[in-house]
Amino acid sequence: LGLSRGTQTPIPSLLSPTVTSEQIEHLHRRFKQLSQDQLTIRKENFDSIPDLEFNPIRGKIVHAFFDKRNLRQASDGLVDEINFEDFLTIMSYFRPIEMNMDEEQLDRFRKEKLKFLFHMYDSDHDGKITLQEYRNVVEELLSGNPHLEKESARSIADGAMMEAASICVGQMGPDQVYEGITFEDFLKMWQGIDIETKMHVRFLNMETIAHCY
Amino acid sequence: MEDVWVAAAAARVGAAWLAAVLGLIVLPSVLGISLGISEAYMWVLVKTLERMTVNSQNYFLMWLPFPSQGIIERDETPMEKEIARLHPADFEFSDILYFCRKGFEAIVEDEVTQRFSSEELLSWNLLTRTNVNFHYISLRLTIVWVIGVVVRYCFLLPLRITLAAIGITSMIVGTTLVGQLPNGSVKNYLSEVVHLTCSRILVRALSGTIHYHNKENRPKKGGICVANHTSPIDAIILTNDGCYAMVGQVHGGLMGVIQRATVKACPHVWFERSEIKDRHLVTKRLREHVADKSKLPILIFPEGTCINNTSVMMFKKGSFEIGGTIYPVAIKYDPQFGDAFWNSSKYNIVSYLLRIMTSWAIVCNVWYLPPMVREEDEDAVQFANRVKSAIARQGGLTELPWDGGLKRAKVKDTFREEQQKNYSMMLVRNGSIG
Repeated sequence: LGLSRGTQTPIPSLLSPTVTSEQIEHLHRRFKQLSQDQLTIRKENFDSIPDLEFNPIRGKIVHAFFDKRNLRQASDGLVDEINFEDFLTIMSYFRPIEMNMDEEQLDRFRKEKLKFLFHMYDSDHDGKITLQEYRNVVEELLSGNPHLEKESARSIADGAMMEAASICVGQMGPDQVYEGITFEDFLKMWQGIDIETKMHVRFLNMETIAHCY
Repeated sequence: MEDVWVAAAAARVGAAWLAAVLGLIVLPSVLGISLGISEAYMWVLVKTLERMTVNSQNYFLMWLPFPSQGIIERDETPMEKEIARLHPADFEFSDILYFCRKGFEAIVEDEVTQRFSSEELLSWNLLTRTNVNFHYISLRLTIVWVIGVVVRYCFLLPLRITLAAIGITSMIVGTTLVGQLPNGSVKNYLSEVVHLTCSRILVRALSGTIHYHNKENRPKKGGICVANHTSPIDAIILTNDGCYAMVGQVHGGLMGVIQRATVKACPHVWFERSEIKDRHLVTKRLREHVADKSKLPILIFPEGTCINNTSVMMFKKGSFEIGGTIYPVAIKYDPQFGDAFWNSSKYNIVSYLLRIMTSWAIVCNVWYLPPMVREEDEDAVQFANRVKSAIARQGGLTELPWDGGLKRAKVKDTFREEQQKNYSMMLVRNGSIG
């Protein structure tokens, strides 16, 4: 198979074998399209995707690409630009589940995806989702609706937070303050929700296309 | 002495060449008959391409191309169902999952951007421009490709340029002459003859092979013809088979000369740049034209910009507010022989025409659809969408609600707010607010 004249990118080990080289080639083309043929992408490059404009949490999604925690570089901070390998690293959070995964792999798979979501909520990178951070997310999801006031968004957030507290900590005394949702608590909340099949981007099967031979 | 001899020989060759062109191509165009030269050429071309692709065993001619309908499997469940599935009642963390996934799908592949790049082919057609990752495959193939280049650039290109020049000149001269006549049926008849002849010459200049289907639905006088837009030559494709009144903006240069000449012979509707801004003025003029049942049908491309012929984008409602009968037409090009799509942000018109003239041929299918009228309870936007669906279905194109103007501009905020409104209305309904 001849690869393109472009750079031969080493495939990050966490991607194989679920992602085939054709899919990587497609992602590479997409990367070049977004970066306008540069080697790195910056936040502004995501502005050129009309489909993404629809999305209320667009900001958080783009932010996730530059989050050092997702890029496995550090526990805090943001980078200014990412190269193709970083792009693939982020994309790997959305790879689909494989048929032949065992229990331990599945568990790790799930934890990775949930960690990604956790980082999306936890915007100050302190390892906890506080009430304020949660409110921010709800407001962003609901922004743009002129009929819904800020108060309503807040009360939704507060209610959900209380529910989270009751699941994680159980009954709290009147003096106890619930500081925030840690990652362990977060995992508890997502128990029972089938994230592995919901949080993936599935490539169409390429082998069915006839090629000239 | 020798120079004179060489010059004389060259002149004779040139004259013979011109005579052949006139006799074999121009004259049949005037008479509206076909000598079958194009058909023979196409047959040879098809056979060659078939043999080339079959004979290259064990080689990939091209990196696996991706079908234009997309590479990722999108879950089309509407937002309400998906979120209801994720949790039965109140707002929870999981709502973010839906938007997250949608966001990532958009990043991997968005429906709009891919419509503004050329359609990909399943097998190579020996043009470098379609072979994105060209690399050396086999000697035989390279030789064939070189022969192809020679044929296209040294033989076809001069021929086509000659024809195009003849076509445009005769259009200008012919319409100016006809324009001198007093208005009447003779003038109209001659104007039709001139327009048709020049269109035919121009189509041959592109080696165009056009199949018209359902000719009984051809647009009639006093109607509006509406078609999907892929390239500037769409107009020529359609005028090859009938006469239309064109609608457009006044340009400068050669185009302007053509416009000024043709409007004398036939009532085309050319707008000044300042007039285009005033929508009411535009609608009024078009309405007047349509109301006159003796005038030729007007030709409009409601998408407003060139799309890559795999999909139909939003039809601007302006054309559908004029009234009258709409005659939809679907145009589908076969990309195997030449890519007709004009990516105006990448190529200017001259390099585009050069690419077209050095392609193998332009092959397309034109379907005339039955006329449509706006119904009582429909508004212009719904009517536009109905026509759009009909055209997309006939041409085998996907339908997109997006505005072709997104090629250059950003999404309107109103669209985004719509999505967010839907989501928050869902929450309110579920009783999450006290």
